[in-house]
Amino acid sequence: MPELLLDPNIRFWVFLPIVIITFLVGIVRHYVSLILSSQKKIELIQVQDSQVMIRARLLRENGKYLPRQSFAMRRHWFNNEETGYFKVQKRAAASQNPMTDPGMMTDMLKGNLTNVLPMIVIGGWINWMFSGFLTTKVPFPLTLRFKPMLQRGVELAYLDASWVSSASWYFLNVFGLRTIYALVLGENNAADQSKIMQEQMSGAAMAMPPDPKAAFKAEWEALEITEHKWALANVEADLLQSNTE
Amino acid sequence: MSFNYEEISHNEAKDLLRQWRENNERRGKEVLELWDVVLREDVNKLGNEKHVILEQVIYAALDCHMYCIAMLCLVMLSNEFPGSLRVMKLKAAVLEAEEKFDEALELLDNIIKVDETNSAARKRRIAILKAQGYIVEAIKELVDYLKKFMSDVEAWQELCNLYLQVQDYSRAVFCAEELLLHQPHSHLHHQRLADIRYTMGGIENLELAKLYYCQSVKLNPDNMRSLLGLYLTTTNLLNHYKSSGNSGKRKEVWKLCHWAQSKATKQTQPTSQLSQMMLSLAITE
Repeated sequence: MPELLLDPNIRFWVFLPIVIITFLVGIVRHYVSLILSSQKKIELIQVQDSQVMIRARLLRENGKYLPRQSFAMRRHWFNNEETGYFKVQKRAAASQNPMTDPGMMTDMLKGNLTNVLPMIVIGGWINWMFSGFLTTKVPFPLTLRFKPMLQRGVELAYLDASWVSSASWYFLNVFGLRTIYALVLGENNAADQSKIMQEQMSGAAMAMPPDPKAAFKAEWEALEITEHKWALANVEADLLQSNTE
Repeated sequence: MSFNYEEISHNEAKDLLRQWRENNERRGKEVLELWDVVLREDVNKLGNEKHVILEQVIYAALDCHMYCIAMLCLVMLSNEFPGSLRVMKLKAAVLEAEEKFDEALELLDNIIKVDETNSAARKRRIAILKAQGYIVEAIKELVDYLKKFMSDVEAWQELCNLYLQVQDYSRAVFCAEELLLHQPHSHLHHQRLADIRYTMGGIENLELAKLYYCQSVKLNPDNMRSLLGLYLTTTNLLNHYKSSGNSGKRKEVWKLCHWAQSKATKQTQPTSQLSQMMLSLAITE
């Protein structure tokens, strides 16, 4: 099969424009999301819950440094059947439906506005504008399985798999420009689309805020089975021993 | 460390200030001098760090009671960020330094109303109460605060000190224990708890004080205060056991007492005054 030669015009009018467009779109997205982003408002009750959890955990871990009575007193305060903190504090179970929370709704809308919409629009436009070009060739041979990935929009059965079509080149750019963005915009920028893709994959699990009720129950159980082991019982002997050594 | 402020360049000054910020050094005087000599002329050349540096200068000025400089910086900041909570907090600090406590309290209340989770503002409120000498009110506020922010180590420590001021030792013990829960490897926390227990007196408390002093010495063998505390505690315990006639325990405690004494003597070898004093205090067995 004779070697394919690409028109140099493809380099100037397809290959480079796609790189530049994806890059600039990323930059614009970063700034738009900066404008749209709203600071997450933390509820006082959430702070309180998390701090209680920390304190209970510390009691479990470091309770051995307290005398038995002090330890029991604290555990009683957390776990007592009638008046214990974990028993008395009734938290509403985490809101089952994010749609009912208007704050969540606007957040989702903003996310869609800055992430999904440009992806569809720009991707579609590039597909339409630059469709059907081979833009470049990866410098190593690839198996046939890579054809649908690298040659989207160019369905030629006998074409070598290492050729890259324009639409695929766009996607390669979308995912590959991350380090460039980190260089230009600094870490934690919002330009990177691949991160958003990952978030959408695991989004269903992440969007749910941790349920305080379940967490309280778990902590209650853990505290209930914690045994007090007085850590300072042998400290005198240790001291005297260290002296004689 | 002293600097020749005349010769320091703009960038060097910035670097110095940043270094102090990162290391949490206040250095009020030096910051103010840098500000006076180097930075004041061209604030706008500071770039990104302008606002942080202004904040730093405000605190430095408050430390040195230079209220006009603080006001100047504050005006600059509030022109740029009207309605910012952070600037409001600074303003409250300025008011507080000028002892306009009521206005400061009002401002802090406003901050809390806007942002309920602003723990710094809540703590400042308590500090103002303490500065005015309303210890009991400060304790009440602080307890309220701790109900919401339970793992705030600083707050527990402050509450412990406040309880000590009003001599409510059993509650102070509770706070000291809470500190211990949060930082179990700090010899100073062990020592603090032991100090309070020793002050409370009674055999049980003295026993506990002894153990905590031991732990403190174990964590840091150079802790002289703990050694001395251990010595005093054991001496007291010896007295108790002598009267109650518990010979087994007496023997143990005597050993510990002796050990603490010899250890302290070793540490103060060059100036053996302390050991002399301890020897004169010691009980002959």
